[in-house]
Amino acid sequence: MSWISEERLKKLAERFGFIKIVDNPQASVIEVPKENLIDFLKFLKEDEEYQFKMFIDWTVIDHGKKADPRFQGVLILMSPKNWERIIIKVWATDERLPSLIPLWKGAKWAEREAWDMFGIKFDGHENLVRMFLWETYPYHPLRKDFPVRGYEEVELPSLNEKERFDQLEGMMNYSRKHTALPTLEDLEITQKKRMPNKKSQMVLNWGPLHPGTHGTIWFLFDMEGEYIKDCDIIIGQLHRGVEKLAENLNVQQIITYTDRMDYIAAINENHSVCIAGEKLLGIHEKIPEKAKYIRTMMAELSRINSHLLWLGTYALDLGALTMFLYTFREREKLMDIFEGITGARFTINYFRVGGVYADLPYGALDAIEHFIKELPERINDYETLLTRNRIWLKRNIDVCIIPEEDVYEYGLTGAVARASGVPYDLRKIDKYDAYGEVEFDIPVGEKGDSYDRYLVRMEEIRQSIRIVEQCVAKLRKMSKNDPFFYEPEDKKMKITIDGRGTKLKKGEVYAGADNPRGELGVYIYMPKDGIKPYRFRLRSGAFYNLQVFTKAIIGRPLADAITLLSTIDPVVGETDR
Amino acid sequence: MGIKKVGLNRNVRPQTLAEKIFFLDFIKGLKTTIKHLFRKVITVDFPYEVVEPTPRFRGVHGLRNVDGTEKDDFDAWVKKLKIKPPEKGETRCIACKFCQAACPVPDIFEIKAKKLDVPKDHPHYGLKVLDVFNMDLGKCMFCGLCTLACPTICIIHTDIYDLSTYSRRGWVLDKEKLSKIADDFIARRGSEKYDEKSEWPDYQRLWNEADLARAKAWENNPPKLGPNYADQT
Repeated sequence: MSWISEERLKKLAERFGFIKIVDNPQASVIEVPKENLIDFLKFLKEDEEYQFKMFIDWTVIDHGKKADPRFQGVLILMSPKNWERIIIKVWATDERLPSLIPLWKGAKWAEREAWDMFGIKFDGHENLVRMFLWETYPYHPLRKDFPVRGYEEVELPSLNEKERFDQLEGMMNYSRKHTALPTLEDLEITQKKRMPNKKSQMVLNWGPLHPGTHGTIWFLFDMEGEYIKDCDIIIGQLHRGVEKLAENLNVQQIITYTDRMDYIAAINENHSVCIAGEKLLGIHEKIPEKAKYIRTMMAELSRINSHLLWLGTYALDLGALTMFLYTFREREKLMDIFEGITGARFTINYFRVGGVYADLPYGALDAIEHFIKELPERINDYETLLTRNRIWLKRNIDVCIIPEEDVYEYGLTGAVARASGVPYDLRKIDKYDAYGEVEFDIPVGEKGDSYDRYLVRMEEIRQSIRIVEQCVAKLRKMSKNDPFFYEPEDKKMKITIDGRGTKLKKGEVYAGADNPRGELGVYIYMPKDGIKPYRFRLRSGAFYNLQVFTKAIIGRPLADAITLLSTIDPVVGETDR
Repeated sequence: MGIKKVGLNRNVRPQTLAEKIFFLDFIKGLKTTIKHLFRKVITVDFPYEVVEPTPRFRGVHGLRNVDGTEKDDFDAWVKKLKIKPPEKGETRCIACKFCQAACPVPDIFEIKAKKLDVPKDHPHYGLKVLDVFNMDLGKCMFCGLCTLACPTICIIHTDIYDLSTYSRRGWVLDKEKLSKIADDFIARRGSEKYDEKSEWPDYQRLWNEADLARAKAWENNPPKLGPNYADQT
């Protein structure tokens, strides 16, 4: 697996006496004292041998009210030199942690989120405001003493519907009390705090309900004429607290919630949770062959689905309406296939920790083959329309360049990272499921402008078609009686398709899948065996990719905001979680 | 690692002078759009045409009744939970609450069983029957975990997707309504979805091939469904 090698870890421990290596078979975890953290990280980032310069995630664990110190910071780094990861943990004494912004700019939003969710202060953070909730919200919801239902304190009688003057009874009745809601004043305070020192005359609000933002994202542009001088983004309008909900569910039930995150590529989101759960249980190599190939095939079909939607809406935003109609025509067929195989068109919930919930129905492979056969020709048609069209070239080439350093600084993943020339692809690095056994190329761009991001995604569709073809060929050779779900030999381990009684093991793991919108990583922390995960962190690729928007847009005219947002391609369900 | 380099001048040629002067890029694009103009219409005119959902479709729930296609261990489950042995036409539900346990939102269900009020010498003395089974589908996310948990294949998903009502009342279905939905569904499409032991058979199809509306969405060229695996017939 892609974790730091034993010898390198030992060498590191010899060099720095204060490092404590945590005994954990699923991932390489070290503990570092708070006062040595910044120097140690600087060494890790800059040393020739290690080069852990890619930021992956920076979050917090709450160990409960009785623990002292109560909070622990968790930093996950990646070394692009050796393609290996490391988890660094640090105790947050006095509920404070040092800010990592001088080392990685991508830590800015991660720290805002940790402040929002846990109430940890970061020393040296330039503008520590809330990430998802509004500024006047009094609680920090991911703390263990915050109830799942929240504090219901605002009276909203309209929730309790009246019909013919009588109250609805029993299950139909909703509580008159509701958890706190932001008022207009609250939103105004939030907006002002986001841009405390505006540079020029006008701040332009774009969103949250603008069709160009593809969801509910609220942009603040500090404009000098037509050009953007400063930018910040307010997200959280779709925040549902999936991480909090996940702490009260078993792992198979969490998968249903991930459907609602990146709803365009729901299968890939499910995939991430399955990969992480299986790694934690240590069964990732024992998953039946059939399940592996079905999952790989479905994940790639879902990637095609997502990229088709992206292509349609992207072209629509830049004025090419036809493309939208064409790609939705193809997408409809894919949705039909998903409906037939999984039972739902959109919120799929087909994968399970341990395999898939049912075998393919009669005729599924034929339909997929039929679809895959005619898709390349369609993709060529789309490319004739766009790729060398002069309007398309003018609106994309050299627009909002994201250089290679920014990929490491901001922890960019997915097509955005690959377009900037970093061949970062978990399918190749981790080789989860059947990706180690199928052949495909990683498309890599040159300079990281919008045009490169477009070309990388187009090439990804072609590579996905290749993978699906190989998977279908492999599945054809299998038997109908092959298992599609892992039955544990170990009596102590219990994994069920419906989730009842599925137990997680003690330990911690970070694993993820390469999704159309970047890496959705899942960090699970279990202090002891149990059904519910103690901490379930979802590292959203779209969230970190969106963060680079605030930098890449600076100095560009307003019209490029649409191009940049479309090529970054965030989905609000995933950025907000 | 297989890496494929993409970019202008890498896998895309820049525009030539001739293309620029004679607008060849626009002409090529127009050629494509005109070609697509003559493709078949794929729009399904809902509600005049309706695409039939697939057999696996996860729609509104139903509660199946005893009809002779129970699983082999059905009687054992009935005995284990001390339920009055159901006759034909009575519900299969044994009030085990597995569905509620598997559900991510357990508030959906309200399940109660009651003891039969019979004299001591009656054979059903001490046994229970299902009393209340309410489902609030306003909270449901149709993930299908309850149907997988059900040991007697009682709670099922049907192909009904139209849930609109004028009031929240309409989303709360009781056991009579659920049974009726299931009966209706089994009569219409039961054989497509279940075999004689209420399991998903391996002849369960991806979708109904005779459905003309779905064929229209596939440009009247739908795939021919055949066996998936080498040993499937």
